[in-house]
Formats: sequence, structure tokens, C-alpha cells
Amino acid sequence: MVKFQGKVVLVTGASRGIGAAIARAFAAEGAFVIINYLQNELAAARTVAACQELGGDAWAIKGDVMSEGAVTEMIQQVLVEVGKIDVLVNNAFKPYEFDPDKRKLAWQLTWQDFQAQMDGALRSTHGLCQAVLPQMKKRSQGSIINIVSNLVARPIIPYHDYTTAKSAVIGYSRNLAAELGPFGIRVNCVAPGLVYPTESSRHTKEEVKEMIIAQTPLRKIASPEDVAGPVLFLASEWSGFMTGQTLYVDGGFIMK
Amino acid sequence: MKERAGYLPGISEDEVAWQTVTFTRNEEVLEVAVPVLAQEQMQQLAEQIKNNSRQVLKTLAIGEIVEILDKAVAVFLDRHSPYRRKAEQLLPIVTGYDPEVIRHGLTSFLKTFRKPQLLRFLAEDLGNISLLDDFQPRAKGGFAKAFGPDLIVHVWAGNVPALPLWSLLAGMLVKSGNIGKVASAEPLFAGWFANVLAEVEPRLAGCLAIVWWKGGDEEQERSLLGQGDVVVGYGSNTSLASLRSRIPVTTRFLPYGHKMSFGLVTKDSLDARKAWQTAHAAALDVIRYDQQGCYSPHFFYVQRGGAVSPGEFAKYLAHEMECFARRYPRRALSLEEMAAQAAWRQQEELTLFSTPTKEILGDDARAWTVVYEEGAQITPSCLNRTVKVLAVDQWEEILPQLIPYRPLLQTVGVASAPRELWQIAELLGRAGVTRITSLGKMTSPEAGWHHDGRFNLLDLINMVDIESAAEEYAERLAPYVD
Repeated sequence: MVKFQGKVVLVTGASRGIGAAIARAFAAEGAFVIINYLQNELAAARTVAACQELGGDAWAIKGDVMSEGAVTEMIQQVLVEVGKIDVLVNNAFKPYEFDPDKRKLAWQLTWQDFQAQMDGALRSTHGLCQAVLPQMKKRSQGSIINIVSNLVARPIIPYHDYTTAKSAVIGYSRNLAAELGPFGIRVNCVAPGLVYPTESSRHTKEEVKEMIIAQTPLRKIASPEDVAGPVLFLASEWSGFMTGQTLYVDGGFIMK
Repeated sequence: MKERAGYLPGISEDEVAWQTVTFTRNEEVLEVAVPVLAQEQMQQLAEQIKNNSRQVLKTLAIGEIVEILDKAVAVFLDRHSPYRRKAEQLLPIVTGYDPEVIRHGLTSFLKTFRKPQLLRFLAEDLGNISLLDDFQPRAKGGFAKAFGPDLIVHVWAGNVPALPLWSLLAGMLVKSGNIGKVASAEPLFAGWFANVLAEVEPRLAGCLAIVWWKGGDEEQERSLLGQGDVVVGYGSNTSLASLRSRIPVTTRFLPYGHKMSFGLVTKDSLDARKAWQTAHAAALDVIRYDQQGCYSPHFFYVQRGGAVSPGEFAKYLAHEMECFARRYPRRALSLEEMAAQAAWRQQEELTLFSTPTKEILGDDARAWTVVYEEGAQITPSCLNRTVKVLAVDQWEEILPQLIPYRPLLQTVGVASAPRELWQIAELLGRAGVTRITSLGKMTSPEAGWHHDGRFNLLDLINMVDIESAAEEYAERLAPYVD
């Protein structure tokens, strides 16, 4: 028996990388997956096809999660077509170059750098949550999962702006969890370590990967597929009594 | 996608017949057009390259040649250059290796051919690199100069991408003209390199050619092999034997055949902290090019008495193989390779009941197998990420096991403390091993290594001596004699 039969799952930034792996995993469990993407129509179509092959249904929908108008329109469209959203996975993020050698040092950062990441992570998450809330409240159920990063617990490389914004998402999620618990809506976060290969980690130097692997008990770097399991768990009723939590998916690099 | 292989100076594309070799990886299809030269064309090419070798290459100073090769190698090290991009895009399709394996493999291989490494390469074999430019004084009296041949013919194998570079660059360094025959399994890299070389230094455009013929085409082979002053051949012992039979007896033949390499882990490297690092390095040697290189390990001898036992080491190694299977997936195996894997595994499983200490780690569904055995004889691996861990007490025990394999032994990756390293090196040298390196570096030989114990450059050249007698005699004939 598949776990998500009849459920509608919206995954943002799902054409490639972690988002696509999450979408495929939901589809394999029978879900109807809405694949939100920004630019790469071809990749989105490929993920849709993969989801259908896996036994779920899928639909790609273009929309910039940074734009309030686009988000509202997208959610409206989904609700008109499918009638509900059971699970929202906020996975999209503003493109960020994870280059340990060329990253900005603390004293080189401007407020604009932080603002850009806050907009990319927190503002987009907020926009999506606001847009799905009314119907989730009405149905007294729903699960929201926000993808953050294990850098929030241990900035092994201090990507200040990126990690600060992801930390804000955790704070935001906890508050939202407190507020929405009474409506039966759960909000949790998944914090992966370095995930490889993805578009953002393609240029991560071998030395950095080796450094992380050496400090990871399970001795490898996460693959996009590794992130999907905990997301599905938080979306399912198996985690029905969990809210406001952050699950670290990094092979034991962080233990808390 | 389509790509043309080869490099044929002085012959236009439409004068040549082309044959298509098709490669597929996942859904990507690449059609490579390989040139089929008529016998006269091959003869002309050989003549032309010999001439250019005499008139162009031999007039360049070795310093100039090194600069040119360095520039060409830099093109392939630049991740943004069109040639490098093409290599990263197409070689995974041609060879089936994971793109990441190709990317890292290319960089770590190519960086051993930069100017400092090339100079070291020359110094290693020649001592004084000016020997390639002028007659140099000798300590015992007289003078000597190193002359490269006019034409070296290379017959390459396709097991590891870009490998032809070793012998091609060695040929260029001794100012020789070169014709290389690429393997159908990897027909592209050598041609790209030749093109880049001609772009970097147009004077060299006519000094080398990259050709192809169908393996076993005796006429074609005989006609070109007869033209070469030196023939360098890579491949299985069978293909080398057939090559040898077609080479004139006066031609120098340098065969590089199949080899067997292995790892050696001492108890010093098996403490609580380092055991994992050792297993990590060992696994890297196995997964790089799926053990297809002559330097890839077939098995690991692991010493008892460390904090981590050989059996536990095998399990660390197995987990590392599993992690690497995700990070750098194994290439898709051919039907023959799959059958060989299954047969090898079955053979191992058969003896499982009679040898209770033996363990087979990893199941059929995994892209690797680690077998742990005590007191077993060594056997060549069926490759493609299949290794044995053999428990050992004293290193002297392994000598009798190695002796039957003497002609095949090449690299040993060693993890040991300094004092033991020298003792082990002495032992291994006696057994016929020619290269001792660290675990984790088995597939990356240093610049200037002695390939199969031989001299890369010295084997190609002729030393020409002016004996002191000639010098003294000449003095008597000088116009200034009083």
C-alpha cells in the first residue's frame, strides 16, 4: 500500500536536485506532486515524467516563489485544478554560489547580501505558507516542511548571508508551528548537510568534500535521494505528533 | 552527437574514408567517425612526419618543446576551454565512466605534465637535459648527445582515457615524429591533444598524426610498423604478441602489457584513528577507473596485530566502496563483464563452506564486492570494483605467493611506518614489483616514474658518443696546429 495515495504535495524548486528527488519520492508513494520551477522547463518536464513512471501523478507549474503575485496565482491555480494541498515543501532558494575559497568574508558583506538571502529563503517561505494556510486551516490538517541547512547548527564554512537566512527560517517555522498547532497543521524543517551532486555543489572542491566526509560518521556526503526520506516522514502521519522540529540529514555530522 | 577522431596533417577530410563507431551512455548517443586510411596514404603520412621530425622538431631546443607541451596541457587543465569541456562531456559517453571520475582523473593526470614535471621527467632519465640539444662533455672524456628516432609508432589501448598522452609526450620530448593508433574503445583524446598542439605551435602541426585501423588489420599494421624506428605497444599479452610478430627485427619494440598491482596495509596504519583513513585511501585506488589500469589493485594484504583486525578492515573497506558507489558510480558493465563477475562470485561462494573464516561482503545488487580470506593464495581479480583482503602475519609470507606472478607485478600501494617501508620495498623489489607508492595514489604515478621499471625516454633514444680519441685525432688536423 502506497503511503501518499490521494495526497497533493507541492514542492517548490523541484525541477532538479534535492527538490526533484523529493518529488520523485512522493510520486513513488502514490502522491499527486506539483512541481514548481522557475526557469528550467525541460528539467521540470523530465521530473514530471519520472514521477509518472514511478506511479504517482505530477504536474509542472512555473512560478517565481519570490513574487507574491506569482505565488498567489500558482496556489489558486492548484486549488482550482486539484482542490487541495496536503503537503507543502519549501525547497526553492535563491541561487547561491557555495565556493569556500571565494566566499565573502564577514567584513566584506553588505546588508544587501543578507537582504537578498532573507528574501530568497524567508520571504519566499512566508509567501508560500500564507498562500496555503487558508485551505489547510479549513481542512484542519496539513504539513509544511521547510528545507534549511545543517550549517545553521555548525557553520563549518561561514556562508554568513545564506546561513543566517536559513536560521531565520527555523525561527519562523517554530513560531508558525506554535500558532498552527491548534489547527492541526504541523510545521517542521529538514536540515541537510552538503548534498552532492546538485547545481549549487557542482563546484565544491574535493578537499572540502573530503574534510566533511572525514568528520561524518556515515562517511559520505548526502545525495539528493538521502534528503527525501525524512521529508516524507515529516509529511506522513508517522510524525503526526511532531511539530516545530528540525531533522538533520547529514550522516551524523551534527548530533543534537 | 557526432565527433571526428584522429589527426591527419596534410590530408583533407574528404580524401579519407570514415567509419562510424557508436557509443551510448544512459540516453546519450555519440557517433565517432574514425579515419580509415588507404595504405598509400599511411605511407605518405609516415614519410611526411619523418621529414618534419628532421626539419622542424630536431631544430627546436628542448626548452622550447617543453614550453609548447606545457601550453597544450594547460588548455586541457582549463575547465573553461572548449577542448576540456568537450573532453568532460564526451569521454563519459565513450568510456562509460562517471563524469566525476573523468573530471578528477583528467586533472590529476594532466597536472603531471606541466613544465616543472616535464623538466623533472627529462632530468630523471637524462640527468642533463641539454643532451637532447647538443653534444655534452662526459666526465670520463669525450662527448655525447641523445638522438630521438625520426618516427615512433604508438599502438594504444583504451582502458584508461587520455592514457596515450604518456608515450606521445615522451616521443615529443625526444624530438621524434609520432604516429599513434588509437583504440576503438577510446578514440578521441589523442586526436584532440594533437589538434591543440598544432594550434599552440603551428610549426609542430606536421610532426605527429593520430590514426586508426580495425584491430587485426594485418596489412595496415605491417605497412606502418615497418616505417617506425621504435614501436610502443599497449594491450593484452595476446595483442602484444601479434604486434611483435609484425615488427621488423631491427625495430625497437617497447611492449606494455597487462599487469597485476596490489595494496599492502601494515598494522601501524590500523589504529583507532587511522584505520578508516587507510580503508578510504584503499577504496579510492579500487574505484578509480574501476580497476582497469595496470596500476589498479587486485587485492590488499592486511597485517594482523593492529587495533583493527584484517577482517574488520575488510568491513571498513566495504562501507567505503558503498559510499563511493554513490559518489562515483561504477560504469555500466558489458554482458561479458557481468558474466565474468557472476562467475567469479560463484567461484568464491563455492569455497565459502569449506573455509569458515572466509567472508564475502556486498551482495549481487551492489556495484562492488569485497572478499575476506585467511591464508589464501592470490588470484587476479575480475576487476570492476572486486577486491580481496588477505590476512597476513609477517611480510616474508607473501614472497612465495608473488613469485609465480613475477612478470606481471607492477605497483604496490603501501601504508606503513618509515622503517618498515624500506624493508618492504626491498622485499617487493626482489619479487619483481617496480613501483611502490602510498595507498590512495596507486592510480596517479608521479612524473618521471619508471613505467614497468623501465626508462620512459632512455628507451626511445640513441646516445651518440664522440669518443676522446676522435677529439684528440681532430686536434692533430686543426689548421692552427703549430
